[in-house]
Amino acid sequence: MLAVAGSAVITAAIAGIQARTSVAGLSALYLLLVLWLGARWGRLPAVAAGVCAFLLYDFFVVPPVGTFAVQGTSGLVELIVLLAVALVTGQLAASLRRTQAASEALAAESRALYDLATAALSSPEVTGALSLLCRRAMLIDGVSLFSLVGTDSGQAVVLAGTDMSSDQLKQAAWSAEHRRAVGISISDGAIKLVKTRPDPREPAYLPLAGGVAVVRVDPDGHSAPEDMRMTAALIGLAGLLLDRRRAALESDRASGFEASDRLKAAILSSLSHELKSPIASLRAGLTALVAPRAGLEPEQKELLQDLDRQANRLDHMVGDMLALSRLEAGVALDKEPHRFADLVGSALRQLRSDLKDREVSVSADDDLPPVEVDEVQVARVLVNLLENALEWAPAGGRIALGAAARDGHLEAWVENDGPAIAPADLDRIFDTFWTRRARGSGLGLAICKRVVEAHGGTIRAENMRRGPRFTFTLPLARVPAAQ
Amino acid sequence: MQRALRAGLGYHGFDVRAVGSGEEAVREAASWRPDVVLLDLGLPGMDGFQTLAALRPATRAVVIVVSVMPGEKDKVRALDAGADDYVVKPFGTEELVARIRAVLRRQADVTSGEPVIRSGDLEIDLAQRAVSVGGKAVRLTPTEYEVLRYLALHAGKPVTHTTLLRQVWGDYAVGDNYNTRYVVAQIRKKLGDDSSNPRYIVNEPGVGYRLEAN
Repeated sequence: MLAVAGSAVITAAIAGIQARTSVAGLSALYLLLVLWLGARWGRLPAVAAGVCAFLLYDFFVVPPVGTFAVQGTSGLVELIVLLAVALVTGQLAASLRRTQAASEALAAESRALYDLATAALSSPEVTGALSLLCRRAMLIDGVSLFSLVGTDSGQAVVLAGTDMSSDQLKQAAWSAEHRRAVGISISDGAIKLVKTRPDPREPAYLPLAGGVAVVRVDPDGHSAPEDMRMTAALIGLAGLLLDRRRAALESDRASGFEASDRLKAAILSSLSHELKSPIASLRAGLTALVAPRAGLEPEQKELLQDLDRQANRLDHMVGDMLALSRLEAGVALDKEPHRFADLVGSALRQLRSDLKDREVSVSADDDLPPVEVDEVQVARVLVNLLENALEWAPAGGRIALGAAARDGHLEAWVENDGPAIAPADLDRIFDTFWTRRARGSGLGLAICKRVVEAHGGTIRAENMRRGPRFTFTLPLARVPAAQ
Repeated sequence: MQRALRAGLGYHGFDVRAVGSGEEAVREAASWRPDVVLLDLGLPGMDGFQTLAALRPATRAVVIVVSVMPGEKDKVRALDAGADDYVVKPFGTEELVARIRAVLRRQADVTSGEPVIRSGDLEIDLAQRAVSVGGKAVRLTPTEYEVLRYLALHAGKPVTHTTLLRQVWGDYAVGDNYNTRYVVAQIRKKLGDDSSNPRYIVNEPGVGYRLEAN
């Protein structure tokens, strides 16, 4: 319509001008119309206008006026040029329009995504953001189901979007567990539905970092590429949000653990204060009276010294029980890279008065890789094992301590040449309160086992040719070679 | 406990005054000027660490922290707050007396300005920056020397990893204790010492190092 009307108006104008004065090239006026139509409405109206212009110009302007016949070559050339230029211009304008439309669509898409992402990321509640995202996804043509499923609680739960049947949830859980997409793939920023699905009405499943996206796109509708791009972008955004949700859950859990750790440590520390303070007074008093200036008789002094030894033993037992409860309560280890030789040095030093007239041979290479351990706890393991060896090695007997790197961990052992451990006892020797000695507390080796296991290692007892040997493993540190 | 300690230390020839709170301790330390302050961290009212912080400007006395604390972090905190040593309860009187005497002896050495510090047959000549074992010179790298020098200046006293790190590598040193451990291992090697049975620099598990004073 516009093409015909426009051409007619321009023809009238040209005819009017032409009637008064002879101006060449007025046919270019048609191009304005063609250009406008092409840009506004596309190729077809532009071409129609071009053809109309050709016919009208021929009929009304090109002499002989009033016929379609053309007189002379110049008129003919003018007409042909008009037609050709009109057609080409129409094409160009129309393709310009298409590009513009596409870029407008892209801009709208990114604006929508941007708005959504801002809203989603600024909301503290990730679930709210996920619902927002699902609602936006359902607005896309052809999308008839869009749900986000979380699997962190051990089972699949719809976090946002359309409700799902239990079979669909099972399928989502499977997809999350095996990290496999079902019926869908994302490539070049658009989703592709797998054509060979048994039932195209079933939704497709795509595992994301912190959950699964479940999408059903109308199987027979020919969805526009921009809609598919939008869907893919929303799934990508959902992936980010689910990941953020998972990180938040993990940090919640970690801070919960930390709080209960602090509580346990506080209880144990007040407990040890309560238990140890009376022993402290006892020992301070008993040992004070032993001083020569206190002026006690030798047998009185002996009695006091014996009592102090008992108090000291009590202190050790209380200390062991507290250490064991600390380990059982799972109070966090203070792990750092350490050289094994340093740990041995600390242990031997703590026992130096007991070891005075004993020979302890240490075979640990100086270039052993460092271990990642709680220094105080592992020194305690060594002290307990050495005390055990001291107990069993005969007078003048030998105690040997060694370590070697083996299969990605450090293997350390303490052995003595005392009597062999009965085979039946080898397993239960690490049990709490089990002891071979009449006066033993049965806690020393139990503590060793707990400490080693808390470090992810193992401990075992075995009878070697010369005597019993206790072997335990410690994790190696991941330290760059020291410079 | 307080009565037992007063009696025990008295029998060993010390003049002892006992107070019941941190506030009193700070006042007494400023007016009576004792040589040694035994400070229990488990105090009523003003807590042990606050008392420690208040004591430091009030007195030049040696401060030994006494505590029933299974936590190494508390020891480190007390040392970093200016304590000279710590003794873990329960302890025997002899052990405490030995500790006090060692700290006092060291204090005397430091204030005498003697430039040579000895630990067994190890000699550190601070004026000459020279180190020798049994009369034989030992060559240390500048870092190793700085670590040994700092430990020597505080011979007999536990020095925390953090303090060592800060003193040797500067205030902005990032806490990498393994670095210190590596340097100490190197020093021990050069001094002909054995990490698993050291004679000079000994470990204070969970705390730091101590250069044995004699």
